Amino acid sequence: MITGRGGSGSRGRIRPPRRPVGRPGQPDDFEQCWDKLREALRDIHNKNAGDLSFEQLYRYSYKIVLKKAGNQLYDRVKDFEEQWFAEQVMPPIWALITKNLISITLDEAPGTSIAERRSMGEKFLKGVRGSWESHNMSMNMIADILMYLDRGYTQDCSRPSIYTTTIGLFRNHILRSGLGTSEPQYHVFDILNATIIDQINMEREGDVIDKALIRSCISMLECLFETDEEQEQERLYLTTFEPFYIRTSHVFYKSECERLLREGDASAWLRYTKRRLAEEAGRCQTTVSPLSIHKIAAVVEQELISKHLEEFLNLEGSGIRSMIDNDRIEDLTILYNLVSRIDPKKTALRNALAVRVVELGNEIEQTLRNTDFSIAQTSDSKEPAGSAKKMNAAAQQTAAAIKWVDDVLLLKDKFDRLWTTCFDEDLTLQTALTKSFSDFVNSFGRGAEFVSLFIDDNLKRGIKGKTEAEVDVVLDKAITLLRYIGEKDKFEQYYQKHLARRLLHGKSESQEVEQEMISRMKRELGNNFTQKFEGMFRDMSTSKETTEDYRNHVRGLGALEHNQIDLSISVLAGNNWPKEVMGRFTGLADGPKIKATYPREIQRLQESFFEFYTKNRNGRVLTWVGSAGTADIKCLFPKIPGKTTGPLAKDRRYDVNISTYGMIVLLLFENVGEDEWLTFEEIQAATSIPQPDLINALTSVSSLKPYRLLTKKSGESKESQANSAAKPTDQFTFNREFVSKTIKLRVPSVNAANKVENDDERKETDQKTIETRKYVIDAAIVRIMKQRKELLHSQLITEVIQVLAGRFKPDLPLIKNRIEDLLSREYVERVELSDGPPAYRYVA
Amino acid sequence: MDVDSSSPSKYITLVSSDGFEFVVMRKAAFISPAIKSMLDPKSQFQEARTGRCVFEEINGIVLEKVVEYFHYWYKYQDKEDVPDMEIPVELCLELLTAADYLGLDSKERLLPSR
Repeated sequence: MITGRGGSGSRGRIRPPRRPVGRPGQPDDFEQCWDKLREALRDIHNKNAGDLSFEQLYRYSYKIVLKKAGNQLYDRVKDFEEQWFAEQVMPPIWALITKNLISITLDEAPGTSIAERRSMGEKFLKGVRGSWESHNMSMNMIADILMYLDRGYTQDCSRPSIYTTTIGLFRNHILRSGLGTSEPQYHVFDILNATIIDQINMEREGDVIDKALIRSCISMLECLFETDEEQEQERLYLTTFEPFYIRTSHVFYKSECERLLREGDASAWLRYTKRRLAEEAGRCQTTVSPLSIHKIAAVVEQELISKHLEEFLNLEGSGIRSMIDNDRIEDLTILYNLVSRIDPKKTALRNALAVRVVELGNEIEQTLRNTDFSIAQTSDSKEPAGSAKKMNAAAQQTAAAIKWVDDVLLLKDKFDRLWTTCFDEDLTLQTALTKSFSDFVNSFGRGAEFVSLFIDDNLKRGIKGKTEAEVDVVLDKAITLLRYIGEKDKFEQYYQKHLARRLLHGKSESQEVEQEMISRMKRELGNNFTQKFEGMFRDMSTSKETTEDYRNHVRGLGALEHNQIDLSISVLAGNNWPKEVMGRFTGLADGPKIKATYPREIQRLQESFFEFYTKNRNGRVLTWVGSAGTADIKCLFPKIPGKTTGPLAKDRRYDVNISTYGMIVLLLFENVGEDEWLTFEEIQAATSIPQPDLINALTSVSSLKPYRLLTKKSGESKESQANSAAKPTDQFTFNREFVSKTIKLRVPSVNAANKVENDDERKETDQKTIETRKYVIDAAIVRIMKQRKELLHSQLITEVIQVLAGRFKPDLPLIKNRIEDLLSREYVERVELSDGPPAYRYVA
Repeated sequence: MDVDSSSPSKYITLVSSDGFEFVVMRKAAFISPAIKSMLDPKSQFQEARTGRCVFEEINGIVLEKVVEYFHYWYKYQDKEDVPDMEIPVELCLELLTAADYLGLDSKERLLPSR
C-alpha cells in the first residue's frame, strides 16, 4: 500500500537516517541512561511520575537497546524491582499477617467473633489489594516506558516480557513466601485463600462483606500465572484459589444439605437450592470470578440436588407426591428447573411422575371399586332406570364407567396443567406422562369399554345444551383417552355396538356431533378404523330415503288397508353393524335361525315392503331384526267398572312406544279376556321370539312400575317379585288398571341403554375380540409374506407386531399359532435351511 | 481501539525535533503503541497531562510524513481498495527508523492495551 515515488535516483539520493547516538548534550552512555531510568522507576513507584517525560524515558531504553545492552537493562530492572520489593512492599504485608490472623484462618481457632474475624480479614485483604494495585500500576507504566526493550530485546531472546517478569515478582516474593519459621508449610497464599473463603462463607451465612475488595483480590489472582510463560490454564486463580474454593464449597453445601434433609421439608429445600444457585451465580459476577460460574454451580447442583434428589422427592408430606397432590405449582416449577440442570433427561422427575400417575390411576380404580353407585348417582344420571335389580346393577356399573372416565380426564387435566405451567412443556416428560397414562388405562382392562361408554353417554345426554366450544372440549377429551388405549380393536367393537344402539333407537343427541366424533377418530386412527362407523351412518341415511320412497309408494297404491301402520325402516348392511344388533349372534348359538312370528298385519306390511324393496334391488335378502326395532301402538284401557272417581273411572288412551318384540307380545293380549293368563311358554310358542329377547320384552312391560302394561304372576312366589325380571315360569295378563300421567309412553327396552357388560358378556366380547384378531393377524402375515417372499421367523414376528401396533398389542403365542395355522393351510411353507434360524416362504 | 472518553481533547500535538508542531487526531495517533502509552491517562506522565509529545529524534519533514500516515491509516483502516500513499524515496530510511521508534512495525497495535 505504500510505494516509492519516481525512478531510481531521479530526485536526489536516499537520505540516511541520523545515528541516534553520539549527539552532544545528551546522555548516551549506558550508565547515564540507566541512572535516569532508575530514578524514574523510583518516582513511578512513589506515584511521582507527573514531571517525567515519557518520550525521554522511552528514548533512553530505546538507545540502550540499540546499543545491544538490552540484557543488561533487563537484569538491572529486575534487580531493582526485587530490591524495591524487599525494602518497600513486603514489610507492610508482613505487618498484616499477625499471629492471630494465621491462627484464625488456618487453624480455625475458636473464640473469635465473626465481626473480629471479618475486620481482620478485610484489613489483610485491603493491604494485599493496595500493594498489588500500586505494584501493578507501576509495572504497567514501567513496561510502557520499556516498551522498546520488549520489542527489541525480550522478544528476540525469548525472555518473558518485562511486565510479566516484574509482575511475577509479586507472586514469587509475596504470595509464595513462607510464613517464617513458625508455620513453614504455609504460604501467604494459604492465608489469602483462607481469608477470602472465610469472607465468602460469612456472606453465605448472611453477613455483609466488601464484595469489591474480594473481587479485586480475585482479579489479582486472575492476572497472575504460575510461571512467566503465562499459560492460559495456569492462572493462579485457576491453579490455587479455585480448587480450594470448590473444595470448601463442597464442604459447605454438603453440611447444608444434610441439615435440610434432617429438617425434611422438600419445599424449603427447593427454595433454598434455588436461592443458593442464584446467589452463587451472582457471587461469581460480583465477588469471585466469572470463570468459576459453571464450576460452582456444578458444586451446588451436585451437593444440593443430585446427591439427595431421591430422598427429597420421597419425603413424606412435602415430597413430589404431596406437590402433585396439592398442586404446588411453584414447588414443581422450581423442581423442574433444578432437575433440568443436573439431568437433561430428567430421569428422577420423570420416574417420580410416572409412578405417581400410575398410583393415582390405580386409586381411581380402587375408589371405583369401593364406591356404592346405587345411591343417588344412578337415579338422576341414568334415564329413568326404574328399580329392577338387574337394571340397577348395570346402571350402577355404567355410572361407574362414566365416573372412571371423568376421573381419568380430571387426572389428565391436572397433569396437563402441571406440564404447561411447571414443566415448560417438556417433551420427555410429556412422553413419560403419556406412557404412564396409557399404562394404567390399559392395565385397567376395561378402558376401551369405558371410554366408548363415556362417549355414548355424552352423545346421548352430555352435550345437550352445550355450546359448540364445549362440545369440542368433550370430543377432545374422548380422543385424548382414545389415544391411550392400546386395544383399539376392542374399542372399535364397543363403539360399534354403542353407536348402533344410538342410531337405531334414535338416542343420539346430534347427528353433527356424531359425525364430528367419527371424523376425529378418522384423523387420529386412520380410514380403516372408522370405515364401519361411516357405513352405519350411510345405512341410516339411505334407510331414511327408502322409508320416504316406500311411503310415497304406498300412498300411490292407495292401499288404504295399511294406512293404520306407518313403517319406518332401517336397512342395515350386515358387515357394518355389530352382530348382537343384527341378532345373528344369538341366532348362531341357537342353530337354525328362528323367525319370530309377527302378527298378521305386520306380516302383510313386511311383505309389501319386501316387494317394494326388491323391485329395484335384485337378489337381496332382508332379515327382520325384531330386537332392534320399535313400534308405536295406541292402547285403549277401558274404564274399570265400579270405579267412579280417579283416572280408572274413565277410558284411557295411551300412545305406547315399545320395542318390536314388545309390540308382538302386547298384540297377543288384544284378544285375551279379563282374568285370563298367558304363561311364558304360551307366549313363546305364539311368537317364536328367542327366549332371551322375550325375557327382555316381557320384563320391560311387566316389571317397571310406570310401564306395567302387563301384570305378572310368578310361578313360585306370588307378587313378591313384581319388580324382578320375567322368568320362563311366569304368567302374564293385561293390566287393566294401568294408569300413566302422560299420554305418550316410551317403554324403555331393557337392552337399549348402553351399559357396562357383565362378566359373561365381557367374556363373550373378549372371545370375539380374539376371534377377530386371528383374522387380522392372518391378513397381516399373508400381506407381509406376499411382499417379502421369504422371511426369518423372528423378522416376521417383528413386522407383524409393527403392523398391528396401531390396533392392538398381539401376544406372541397367538401370532405363532396363526403362523402354524397358515402353514397348515399352505399359505406359507417352511424354508428348509440346514442349520439356519427358522424361516418361511410365501406360497403363491 | 479503546479511547478514554473522558480524555480532554480529541486532538493532540506532536512536536518535531526542529520545533514543528502537528495537531493530530488522538485516535489516529493511537496507532502507535508508543504514543498511545505515552498519552495513557492512567500513567500521568508529562505527555499525558499536557497532550503534547515532543520527539527529539524526529525532524519536521519525517514527522509530517508520519502524521500523514496516521491520518491515512485512520481514514482507511477498515476499507478495501485504498489508494497508495506517496512515500518520497529519499525519506524512506528515515521513515523506517521513525516507524521502528514509534512501534509502528508491530502487530500489537491491534491488540488491546494491558
